[in-house]
Amino acid sequence: MTEPLLSIRDLRTVFHTDEGLVRAVDGVSFDVNRGETVCLVGESGSGKTVTGESITRLIRTPPGEIAGGEIVFDGQDLTALSEAELRDLRGDRIAHVFQNPQGALNPVYTVGWQIVEAIQLHQDVPREEARSRGLDLLDRVGIPEATRRFDDYPHEFSGGMKQRVSLAMALATNPDLLIADEPTTALDVTIQNQILDLLTELQDEFDMSILLITHDLGVVAEVADRVVVMYAGKVMERGDVFDLFERPSHPYTRALLNCLPGRGDGARSIGGKLPSPTDPPDGCRFHPRCDYAVDACREGDQPPAYAVDGDEDHVVSCVHYGPGSDPSVVRGEDEEAVPADGGRAVDGDGGARGDDR
Amino acid sequence: MAGGDTFESVDWEETGSRLSTLSRRDWGALLTGLALVAVFLYDYLVLPGNRPTITFPVEWNVTQLDWLFVVTLLALLFYVAIPLYDNRRLTAYYWREFRKNRMAVLSLGYLLVVFLIGVVGPLFLDKPTLALDQAYQPPVYLGVDSTVPVNCVGEVVNGRCQGTMAHPLGTTGDGKDILVLVIYGMQVSMKVGLISTLLVVTIGTTVGTVAAYGSGLVDELLMRYVDIQLVFPAFFLYLLLTYLFGGSLFMFIVIFGLTGWGSIARLVRSEALQRAEEEYITAARSAGAGTLYVIRRHLVPNVSNSVITAATLLIPGFILFEASLSFLSLGDPTVPSWGQVIATGRSDLSTAWWISTVPGVFLFTTILAFNFMGDALRDALDPRQET
Repeated sequence: MTEPLLSIRDLRTVFHTDEGLVRAVDGVSFDVNRGETVCLVGESGSGKTVTGESITRLIRTPPGEIAGGEIVFDGQDLTALSEAELRDLRGDRIAHVFQNPQGALNPVYTVGWQIVEAIQLHQDVPREEARSRGLDLLDRVGIPEATRRFDDYPHEFSGGMKQRVSLAMALATNPDLLIADEPTTALDVTIQNQILDLLTELQDEFDMSILLITHDLGVVAEVADRVVVMYAGKVMERGDVFDLFERPSHPYTRALLNCLPGRGDGARSIGGKLPSPTDPPDGCRFHPRCDYAVDACREGDQPPAYAVDGDEDHVVSCVHYGPGSDPSVVRGEDEEAVPADGGRAVDGDGGARGDDR
Repeated sequence: MAGGDTFESVDWEETGSRLSTLSRRDWGALLTGLALVAVFLYDYLVLPGNRPTITFPVEWNVTQLDWLFVVTLLALLFYVAIPLYDNRRLTAYYWREFRKNRMAVLSLGYLLVVFLIGVVGPLFLDKPTLALDQAYQPPVYLGVDSTVPVNCVGEVVNGRCQGTMAHPLGTTGDGKDILVLVIYGMQVSMKVGLISTLLVVTIGTTVGTVAAYGSGLVDELLMRYVDIQLVFPAFFLYLLLTYLFGGSLFMFIVIFGLTGWGSIARLVRSEALQRAEEEYITAARSAGAGTLYVIRRHLVPNVSNSVITAATLLIPGFILFEASLSFLSLGDPTVPSWGQVIATGRSDLSTAWWISTVPGVFLFTTILAFNFMGDALRDALDPRQET
């Protein structure tokens, strides 16, 4: 296998807050290969956004700080780069699209100005050329009458159109990696699908990798090649999208899938809420909400990543998959074996960081 | 590491090849400013002090204060007039909002007239001089007991001296023409209001945005300095310097301009703190923009609406303050400001009421007009603050 484009190993991002040290991302590892789409899934406050923003160090320092781990992008360790070197990379080779299209465009400039800015920040091209390239991009992302709308202000666009403009800005310099942080969350369902289709289309055309951050498993099923499931700053499970949906292994993944309406006998929410960000529980982070928790889950650190059924590309951080344990405790004998314990329902939105506004 | 990180993460160096922090307009303003500095140095170092700087079309020996005023007018041109012209669609939108307030439109017209007459008038009118034989002339169409003026210029009808068009607003006890004094006063007020406000707004916005965006140690240092400056008694410094060197308008403007920006810095910081959390700031950073670039091109334009609104309300404050100091004879005795003329007429109120009243009315209406305009601007530019 060739070198992955992006390889994150044991990434730790912390925030120094008045309440204490928040370990928002605590030892996260995963790879993104060239041309593939990796989805980072988890509920609000699980550290998805912080992981995405840590890659090019967009987190505000202080209070944030990347406390450890390495982020290797195309053979270069990003954690060792200076701010100026990172700036050259940001927007040029690694681009971002954000969740809230209302907020991601500066209200005082026309969209055309902002696309031209995105181009000129990295390439020394004359304004006229940047403008014509900006027009092409707007056209490409499906803005009707791009020429006429080039000099319109963001408030004159609808939410979906704004997200297309954000996408055009991100693609302005033909990046290798696009980090899309919940790009469809703020949009209604029909527009969501359009944007996702556009994203996959553009991925082929621009030959880029996408790291898609989402809490929507429907989106994951649609676009992902591989999936990373995060919970409370840790990776719970990681694997190919088919494996993950066919054989969800971590109790958390299984619970997440059960939250989806239309699977089995209706949606079940996960009881309890996210652990305190400043004082996470010992052992597996999920054990207070897990129906299969045994004593081994409550002590030590998060269990290491065990291969599922000997498949090294599908790993899960659960003691039941460790040597000498029996995974069928979690899996049961059939798909419907998940105990019905969804009654005490809260949606578990007690995030360490309000990344879902 | 977190503590020491502050200065590192705020990287003040911009790499050269990329999009410049300064816009083309900034460069234009900068080059014009440098040209002006060159002319100033030529005037100051090469030309003899008593020779007028320009002799055509009018003879005008440019003073320090005039230089500052020219800079201010250029700043208004580059950062108010040209942007309004460039973004005609936005200007039209603001104008529609602004027009809803009739008093404000009226005020704007009045202020434009005062501004234009104040800037141009003194170039063509000689400074009023002592003419005791023409003292206490009443305004035109009005009369006063013929014993009041020493020598009535107009006709005396039924023992009352009638005003003439020679002195449409009458004269003072020294025989100075009040209309000319008022026009000179317009320039003084415009200089005081605009130059001080420009200083305050420039420094306040810079400090406020840098503090908000820099956060951490930068924020702490800048804002604690602002705290200190806000308790600094600038008024006493002014009194002391007036006592030592005599009052001067230049000193007034510089002292109060350089010490008065604390509250604007606080206002801008609180606004910029909100703006800095907006996604477009993160988006700009994610696109590879540097610190200064983000501050100049993304943060400052987004706080400018509240700055403009606050500035419109600062101007009348400065004008009124200068007038009160002049009234108390703490101002510049060489410039005929409105406050000074009001003060000279106060002993003659019972006989020659117009000496204090006429400049008083101008002062009053100017302040009122600025306040009306500030209100309407706030409604047009900053709808969130609507009351």
